[in-house]
Amino acid sequence: MQIAVSVKDIVKKYKLYEDKWGPVKEILTKNQLHKEFLALNNVSLDFPKGESIGVLGKNGSGKSTLLKIITGITDPTSGSVEVNGSLVFLDVSSGIDQELSGYENIFMKGTLLGYTKEEMLEKVDAIVEFSELGDFIHQPVKNYSAGMRSKLGFAISVNVDPDILIVDEALAVGDSQFRQKCMDKMNAFKEMGKTIIFVSHDHNAVESFCSKAAWIHQGTLIMYGESKQVAAHYNAFMSGHKKMEEIEMELNYRHGLQTAELTASEGQFALNLSGYVTSADETQTQDWTFVLQNAQTKETRKFPLERTEQGAFSMSIPFTSDDLFYSPGQFTFEVGTVNGEGDFASFPIWAEDVEFLSEQEVENTFKYTLQTYNQSLLLKIFNIDKLEEQVNRISVEDHQVIVDGVAFVRGYETPSADAVEGELYLVHKETFDYRTFPITFMATEEITENQAFNPLGKNYTYSRFVSKVDLSELPAGEYECKLRYSMKREPLHEIRSHIWASKIDQYDVNEHQVNGQTVQAVIKSKYLYLVVTAN
Amino acid sequence: MFDIYKLMWGKRKMVHTLALQEMKKEYAGTLLGSVWGLVNPLLRIVVYWFVFSIGAKVGQNVDGAPFIAWLACGLVAWFFINDAFRMSKNSFRSKRSLIKNTPFPIAVLPAVNVLYSYFIHLILLATILVVMVFYLKTISIYWLQILYFDVAAFLLLIGIGAVTAPLVAVSKDFGKLIDTVLVFLFWMTPILWSIDNIDGPLKFLVQLNPFHYIVQGYRDSIFFHTGFWEYPLYTLYFWIFVFVSFVLGNYLYKRMKPIFLDLM
Repeated sequence: MQIAVSVKDIVKKYKLYEDKWGPVKEILTKNQLHKEFLALNNVSLDFPKGESIGVLGKNGSGKSTLLKIITGITDPTSGSVEVNGSLVFLDVSSGIDQELSGYENIFMKGTLLGYTKEEMLEKVDAIVEFSELGDFIHQPVKNYSAGMRSKLGFAISVNVDPDILIVDEALAVGDSQFRQKCMDKMNAFKEMGKTIIFVSHDHNAVESFCSKAAWIHQGTLIMYGESKQVAAHYNAFMSGHKKMEEIEMELNYRHGLQTAELTASEGQFALNLSGYVTSADETQTQDWTFVLQNAQTKETRKFPLERTEQGAFSMSIPFTSDDLFYSPGQFTFEVGTVNGEGDFASFPIWAEDVEFLSEQEVENTFKYTLQTYNQSLLLKIFNIDKLEEQVNRISVEDHQVIVDGVAFVRGYETPSADAVEGELYLVHKETFDYRTFPITFMATEEITENQAFNPLGKNYTYSRFVSKVDLSELPAGEYECKLRYSMKREPLHEIRSHIWASKIDQYDVNEHQVNGQTVQAVIKSKYLYLVVTAN
Repeated sequence: MFDIYKLMWGKRKMVHTLALQEMKKEYAGTLLGSVWGLVNPLLRIVVYWFVFSIGAKVGQNVDGAPFIAWLACGLVAWFFINDAFRMSKNSFRSKRSLIKNTPFPIAVLPAVNVLYSYFIHLILLATILVVMVFYLKTISIYWLQILYFDVAAFLLLIGIGAVTAPLVAVSKDFGKLIDTVLVFLFWMTPILWSIDNIDGPLKFLVQLNPFHYIVQGYRDSIFFHTGFWEYPLYTLYFWIFVFVSFVLGNYLYKRMKPIFLDLM
């Protein structure tokens, strides 16, 4: 692979003095009186020939400084630059003199770029036409609008014929029609096999136009690689999704999910995954853990990873029905290890290239969907059916809270007690402690006879539920009260949802003393919670 | 040792074009255009003649040469030197935005300014020479020597331009210092007064000023018909001065370029 531009160990320091006498004082007193601003910190990069490479970075990151060094406008403090081929810097405003006319400026800029008058004469008609300025070309540039100026600048720069073209966010100004013209010309350059270095802080532009990209942040080269990957990480950082430490950690390791599959084998529904994770220098000394996390509650389940020598792993996550963690919600997938400081740190495993061996949407007890989001894997679990549910009464007796309500699924008839079973369970908001309490389903006419709820006249006899929550051994904290409703006949769906309770005047929401603790049923946004506070 | 001059010569077409652009820029927007290049110096010559000859009554004919002609001649040479030096020392500082944004060989900039001044100078010189023909009613082969002195002046100016431009780019104060020095030199160079009026060590001191070589050379060519080979030591001194400034200019540019690129 041939290199068009190569920069090695580029360091660029600026001296910042507090006052204008600084430099003189420094020479006289031989003290260091300046702060050094490190604009570029040991940047080494090879730009391959014939490709379009993006340079991403926020304002002040040093990318413009790097460009200036490559084009020769500035010299680096140390380091070397090697350019193979003729280079043109495509920016719209440099070298244009306001007093001269557009026509004269064409020759002026051409001269600066090293072309003779004869060569410019050959090009000038094409340039004037490209610029769309018409008769205005003979007016002094100071009378142009900003858009006209950039059209002129671009028309001149783009009609030269260099091997390497450096574009500095030149397409920022100009109407979309002109921008399209410029993009067409740039694409034409690409087809001709020219090297294009495209500097921008618009990751979309870089991703669509460039094959490779480099990301410079605070003078350091953060990453260089396929433009899609670099743009994705850059965007994650710029939009606040990920912090720099996270990204740096991710970049220290090579990781990715290769396959994902939702499968029911031996009666157990599970998610099978395979992938790899290694450190960049291929040392295998760390133990890695796979972390599945509920995106809302932040509860996790961890699985130790067994990896081959090459860092590959495969694992299976069974959605066991007794583990209430695998309830409706959104789940993310991370890998983590103990880092240099002894802390466990994890980051989302790269899933952009994952191959789904099964359907991405599968119904089992619940509806499970797999998708890639922000280059990682996202699992969503949904209840297949909607549970119609209401709490009619809440009372407190002895050391129990009694929840009395109705629950049914439209279309699922419950004529007898063996049609349905379930339980009430509490989830501690912080410790994720699960406590289950039995439910009795009883017969009632409330739903079946209700024309509004039951227009089709189905049999929802066993829709009343009563649950007694034993308060005697509940640790302090706030608990979400949830209901598990399981069909015992086809289609054998299960629904788990937060208990809806809106008939507030029917509930005992007072504080009660139980075993030296204060217990209270609380309704927040019509959902039921239980709060236990130690005295 | 002479890299930047090789560059200036190599890019001479670019230098030429840029110098023409400078001229266009300077007079863009005016109606009279480059006519101003004539009007200003001519007016100054008239003023000096009037003050010295008529007002203060100190202007005398020098060795047979009529005062106004002798004065005009010297002033033509001085205007070239003064304007070229003033502009070329600023050649980096004044083109700050160009240097900071456009990639091109900036070392040629001092040459651009000298060439531009030379173009203006040529117009004035041509005018004055025509006037001289009518006024003196004689013309001599020695007039061709002006070509030599023009080349000498040109090279001198490139040398001192190359020396001072990087220094001025680093220190604006230095530029102001040179402006003051130029004012001083205007009076200390025998332009408005004849060198024959002084003697001894003072005369030697005054002759150390290379600008005097040029001014005197102009007068020697037009009036006194003296060839530059008739004072070989002085001619040698002048060219050593030019050589040293060339070497120094190249050195300073190389050393100071990284500094002034960031400082400006």
